[in-house]
Amino acid sequence: MELRQERRAVERPLVSVVDDDESVRESLPDLLGELGFAACTFSCAEEFLESDCLDQARCLILDIAMPGMSGPDLQRELKLRGQEIPIIFITASTDKSARPRLLEQGAVECLFKPFSDTALLKAINKAFHPK
Amino acid sequence: MEVQSEHASGEIKHLQRCINDLISLLALPAIWSGGDPSQVLHTLLDALVRMLRLDLVSVRLTDLVGGAPVEIVRLAELRGRVPSAHEICEALSQCLEDDSRKWPPLLRHLMGEGEVSIVPLPLGLQGELGVIVAAAERTDFPRQTEALLLSVAANQASIGLQEARLLSHQKRLASELDQRVVQRTAELATANEELKKEFAERRLVEERLGQEERDLKRSEIRKAAIVDSALDCIVTIDHEGYITEFNPAAEHTFGYLREEVLGKHLADVIIPPSLREKHEQGYARYLATGEAQVLGKRIELTAVRADGSEFPIELAVTRIPLEGPPSFTGHLRDITERKRAEQELRRSQAFLAEAQHLSRTGSFSWRVATDEITWSEQLYRIFQIDRDARVTFELICTRIHPEDLSVFQEHIERSRRDRTDVQLEFRLQMPDGAVKYVHVAAHIRGDHGQPEYIGAVQDVTERRSSEEALSKARSELSQVARVTSLGVLTASIAHEVNQPLSGIITNAGTCLRMLAADPPNVEGARETVRRTIRDGNRAADVISRLRALYGKKEPTIESVDLNEATREVLALSLSELQRNRVIVQQELVDDLPLVAGDRVQLQQVILNLLRNASDAMSTIDDRPRDLLIRTEPDDDDRVRLSVSDVGIGFEPQATDKLFEAFYTTKDEGMGIGLSVSRSIIERHHGRLWAMPNSGPGVTFSFSVPCKVEGLTSDSARDSRTPSVSDAA
Repeated sequence: MELRQERRAVERPLVSVVDDDESVRESLPDLLGELGFAACTFSCAEEFLESDCLDQARCLILDIAMPGMSGPDLQRELKLRGQEIPIIFITASTDKSARPRLLEQGAVECLFKPFSDTALLKAINKAFHPK
Repeated sequence: MEVQSEHASGEIKHLQRCINDLISLLALPAIWSGGDPSQVLHTLLDALVRMLRLDLVSVRLTDLVGGAPVEIVRLAELRGRVPSAHEICEALSQCLEDDSRKWPPLLRHLMGEGEVSIVPLPLGLQGELGVIVAAAERTDFPRQTEALLLSVAANQASIGLQEARLLSHQKRLASELDQRVVQRTAELATANEELKKEFAERRLVEERLGQEERDLKRSEIRKAAIVDSALDCIVTIDHEGYITEFNPAAEHTFGYLREEVLGKHLADVIIPPSLREKHEQGYARYLATGEAQVLGKRIELTAVRADGSEFPIELAVTRIPLEGPPSFTGHLRDITERKRAEQELRRSQAFLAEAQHLSRTGSFSWRVATDEITWSEQLYRIFQIDRDARVTFELICTRIHPEDLSVFQEHIERSRRDRTDVQLEFRLQMPDGAVKYVHVAAHIRGDHGQPEYIGAVQDVTERRSSEEALSKARSELSQVARVTSLGVLTASIAHEVNQPLSGIITNAGTCLRMLAADPPNVEGARETVRRTIRDGNRAADVISRLRALYGKKEPTIESVDLNEATREVLALSLSELQRNRVIVQQELVDDLPLVAGDRVQLQQVILNLLRNASDAMSTIDDRPRDLLIRTEPDDDDRVRLSVSDVGIGFEPQATDKLFEAFYTTKDEGMGIGLSVSRSIIERHHGRLWAMPNSGPGVTFSFSVPCKVEGLTSDSARDSRTPSVSDAA
């Protein structure tokens, strides 16, 4: 678990990132920081489930395809545990057909890599301010 | 008185002398006995001259034994002169007539100086024997006693002569008889000889006849035996068409007993009703004109058995060369079997011809010693050579494609020399320029003296075209497979590329924001740029790997480290495998020998096996989706790579089908992957196979040689070499 606490903004909401791709885990926290969020990253679902962030995270940025427990698996698991964390799915896949199903099942957004910083910000805002 | 007594005593003396003479004369026949007439006459004349003191006595015999008359004369010493015999005979013939009865008892005849008394005495009763003439100069001649003596002498002479004559005659007769006997004997001997000869000849003839008869009899027996034991039916008919002989074969064939048909009309027995009229017409014509349509020929016609069934026969009719009314022998043979065999042969020939035609295969024979070549009809058709042409190598060579001619001739020479079996494929060029591919297979037959090649020539032009078409199709298919594979792998490719791209874009966005801050976060920006560069390289790597996998078209032979190749494939597909929740385990043995081959093609095969394994486990949820990929040295200087899954497996009977094109167990698969994979491995002189695991799932393995001798760059560059892998 990587937890970055921004001293200037103690009140910053925590966004958790679960992705097996290291590039994502390295680059996203900096962007999130620039966007005014705190971030903690995990390389797999199981790691996240065991962490403290499970309770603190206001939003979960979740990769779909991962070794072991996949993104949707984690989503179901959280639902079972009663953890209602808004989820933004990200995927390197080009299969757009997965998106409607994921949204239907409660995901805030599904972003296809590579996505822009504004697309991400828009999705996070949506997560923080549900309709 | 004295005179008287003197006279008396003289008389007595005279009479005594006369009696003595008479007795002498009477004794003469005893002297004459057995003598001939001349002897009789000589003694008689001598006796008369002496007794009667005659001057002349002569005798003339008329005809003794049919010969000339004989005259004998005795003369006493006449006085002073002696008359010649001739003179006496003339005197006698003047005074004596032919008839002795008219002769005088005494006549006086002047002869010489005096007169003589002549007494003729006939010999025989009428002088038929001759005459005796006694003459004396004495005048008292003949005294009474003298006349008596003369007549007795004549009588005695007649008797003697008769006897002598008879004797002579008898002698002659006896001689004649003897002579005749001798002659007859000789004749008889001759006749006997002739008879003997004739008898011998006859015996010879008889013997010959006997031999001939025996021969004839033997011949008859032999003929009978031949007729009886002949396989052919032998039926003999007389001039009216009635059966005179019907041998056992005929009995057997026609179902009649000999006794049943003897004397019956042939037409009624063995000629079917439909042909009877024709038969009788023909027979009648022959008898009338001697013109026969069937004699001396073999003809085939239909005969009928006792049970009414008809069957084909072959018939040869000959006329029996005997005198008298004509009779005939018919040799008949049931040719049902032969007909059937002929028909079958014809059908078999038709089959063969049709088969040759359909399979475009001609057959030939070639006698090596004489270069005698025989072709089947189809072969003429394949070579487009006139059916009547005599096949020679010169002729054949005119049809061989110029580029293949030397190879063809080389093969012929080698076959001629080595006499080994031949397998050869070459091209023909037809007069119109069309090219044909033919395949020749021939094997040698026959002893060393007369070796002969028997072979088949198949026109494989169509197959060749098909093969070329197939090869093209396969090439196209592999292209399709590659494209399809690309399509299917798009997600995977995109995934691999999108990951670093995502990092790049995120980093770039972050960088801009950091630089736009007040104060700009330069340190942070530098970090993000560093990460951007790293992700950019990462993306470039992915692209280059993809290009290696799909971009290269020309296969190249190089030394390939299968471990390394496997790792590259895994790097490309690992994320996809992970997304499919496949747990990949690697057992790549250290120091694996290098193999010679096309790295990309081998990687396509590995990728295909990985994808198949992944797909086979896509529905497995009750157990970990374990995939094991391993490499190891194999026997015979080979390297083996295996991919095991725990998937749904396949039906055992489907093992053979797995590698066929278009066979698939997947809903979305095209079934090309394994087929193409196998052809790739086979081009590497390797083997690809599948084995069910002892537990769930299947293990696919391939094994390739470390040094591939046969895989030259030429064959590797063959455009037909399939590339690529699966179409899932």
